[in-house]
Amino acid sequence: MPQHDLLIGAASVADNLAYLDPAAPFFESAASRRARVGRLALAFGLELGDANARVDTLPVGTRQRIEIAGALSGDPDVLILDEPTAVLSPDETAALFASLRKRADAGAAVVLITHRLAEVFAGADRLTLLARGRSVKTCRTSETTPQEIGGLLLASAEGADGGNHPSKHAAQSASDGGTASLALTGFAPNVASAVQAETIFFSLSPGELLVLLAIDGNGADTIARAIAGLERFSGRVAVGGVMLPPSGDPLAFRAAGGAFVPADRREEGLVAALSLSENLALPNPPGRVFLDRAAMRARAEERLSAFGVRHASPAALAGTLSGGNQQKAVLARELAHPPGVLVAVHPTRGLDLASAAAVRSRILDACRSGTAALVVTADPDEAQLFGAPLRVVYRGRLTGALEPATPAATLGRLMAGLEG
Amino acid sequence: MSRESAARTFAVAAAVFLAAAGALSGLALLAGASPLDAVRALAEGAAGSNAALGETLARATALVLTAVGACLAFRAGVLNIGLEGQFLAGAVAAAAAGPLLAGSPLAARIGLLAAAALAGALWVLPAAYLEARRGVPEVLSTILLNLVAAAAVSGLVRGALRDPGGDYPQSRALPDAVRLAPLAAGSRVTAAILVALAFALLVALLLASTPFGLRLRATGLAPAAARAIGLPHARLRLLAFAASGALAGLAGGLEVLAVTGRLYDPFAPGTGYTGIAAALLGGSSPLPAASSAILFAALGAGSSAMQRDTGVPGALATVVPGVLVLAVLAARARLARKAA
Repeated sequence: MPQHDLLIGAASVADNLAYLDPAAPFFESAASRRARVGRLALAFGLELGDANARVDTLPVGTRQRIEIAGALSGDPDVLILDEPTAVLSPDETAALFASLRKRADAGAAVVLITHRLAEVFAGADRLTLLARGRSVKTCRTSETTPQEIGGLLLASAEGADGGNHPSKHAAQSASDGGTASLALTGFAPNVASAVQAETIFFSLSPGELLVLLAIDGNGADTIARAIAGLERFSGRVAVGGVMLPPSGDPLAFRAAGGAFVPADRREEGLVAALSLSENLALPNPPGRVFLDRAAMRARAEERLSAFGVRHASPAALAGTLSGGNQQKAVLARELAHPPGVLVAVHPTRGLDLASAAAVRSRILDACRSGTAALVVTADPDEAQLFGAPLRVVYRGRLTGALEPATPAATLGRLMAGLEG
Repeated sequence: MSRESAARTFAVAAAVFLAAAGALSGLALLAGASPLDAVRALAEGAAGSNAALGETLARATALVLTAVGACLAFRAGVLNIGLEGQFLAGAVAAAAAGPLLAGSPLAARIGLLAAAALAGALWVLPAAYLEARRGVPEVLSTILLNLVAAAAVSGLVRGALRDPGGDYPQSRALPDAVRLAPLAAGSRVTAAILVALAFALLVALLLASTPFGLRLRATGLAPAAARAIGLPHARLRLLAFAASGALAGLAGGLEVLAVTGRLYDPFAPGTGYTGIAAALLGGSSPLPAASSAILFAALGAGSSAMQRDTGVPGALATVVPGVLVLAVLAARARLARKAA
């Protein structure tokens, strides 16, 4: 099961699961294919959605769950999962681990690739710690502790700069008086989806950070994308006092001082087939008639090292970088000049601990120099690490502002709609 | 050049050579001639004398421009299959404007070519509008516009543009003073080939070395990323589309100005499609695509000579460009799979 799903976008959920099932008969009725979806959802405790829905209309989280169900459906003897839980709710994660345990007890080999220590100790028999391509430690989980592994992980990762900065927002008190960096008035994304968002009112002052916490498919991504001009919306959005057109215009968002870190860094964050220096130069290429290649290279060198992007050369193609380094490269471009407003969707998803910490501290740095930031995440621990007010989004509806210290269990219940 | 790209270039060159040699030999055998004689006749017809070389370059002029136009569109992610129609639009504009233009021959030529380029650019507008507003794939609309253009040429040379003094359905000839003279006596090549090559160089520079070219390539490679980054995605596509049509229109204008002197029906059929094949063979890079266009023109010129000298039907040589493009695409796909 790959980290990024390989489903066929134009086919339905039922058809994709039929393709993935090695035991599927050559001729199979549509009804039987639809029945498989329900059967797998029940067997593995995963929310797979409407069997007839086209996969490319579904949020990333649902697609990941379909991929997991497909991987498990054939009772494989060897199962390799790359970051399977990045988009799952706590309940779904528990159900997934129960399924994996069942496969392992039946004699199958299960390899789990993850950056979440809690999962390793909850589910695995043995662990191998990898850092920068080297095996640091291999042992049985019963012979070590999460604290020891966490320590090794941070120690072996170069460039994690002195831990997290707990963010005290100097500018938070400025919320009355000066103009808001980002103001949403009666706002709702205007997209055809199962979840209809309710109208939203909030504003962020310069330097303020707000975390939206939600399981994928609850509309938090759509809110962020609509602000960035990538979806239509109703109501009003003002960035730096400038009204954005409700038809969705990324150029207007950028012109008003907005920056955007998309969830899908490979599709929307970077141009994989262009070099790093070309990617960084895209918003504002240097040179009047001809490109100033020397300036491009120098600027890229400087930004890439400032953001700790591990790269062979600025001429390396962006697509050759690891996920963590790609994400840092996106931030190096978006935060080159502190923007008025930063909208970041799942900025640390799938990253190792050190890269995630680096990405968080870059965002907090930007806030300290006056950027108002809206961060969307599906991970309660992640949300708390920002040390900023957070709001939970459930089925398009926002809770009130919550303290960063709110217990994870409470957040989990809010995310699942069991409370509030 | 890295080792990988050197290996790739070599493999592609080998594929081109083997495919061309294989296709030609096979065709010669089919026609009952010796492959060696056929290849010799073809080579001599393409480049064996000043006249032969001139013939090749005269044929190459329009092909180079449509190939470069195709590169520009493809690199921006616009699948402009309508170069054939845009080429015809340019030829119609040149044939219509030619007899009306007064003044010095130089001014008349410039006016005629400007009209041709403009007509080519305008011919993409219906397709661009349908794509932007109605989501109609430009592949379909441009192919259909090719048919409209061909029908329009057929109608115009029998109607509005027909030469009242002539017996054939064709337009009035350009004044001799306006037409481009051959560069050398006994040769058909004119300064038009230099204009075409200059545009190939210009587009290569535009794509590789200007801020506009960088953004254009980003739009073509990753439309979703270009949109999210806030590039003027729609405007870049439209500009590339229109510029590609303008280059094809210019090709039509130059064909009238330098080669035919008038419009008739059918007019240089396949120039747009062969330009697309040359762009594919050249990996959508202007200079390799222009070289491919010259290669195809040489095959065209050589095949006429081959038919005359050995009896191998010249039409068989038109198989060769097709075989070449398929061989190169297969070689590239194989290398890409290995690299992945």
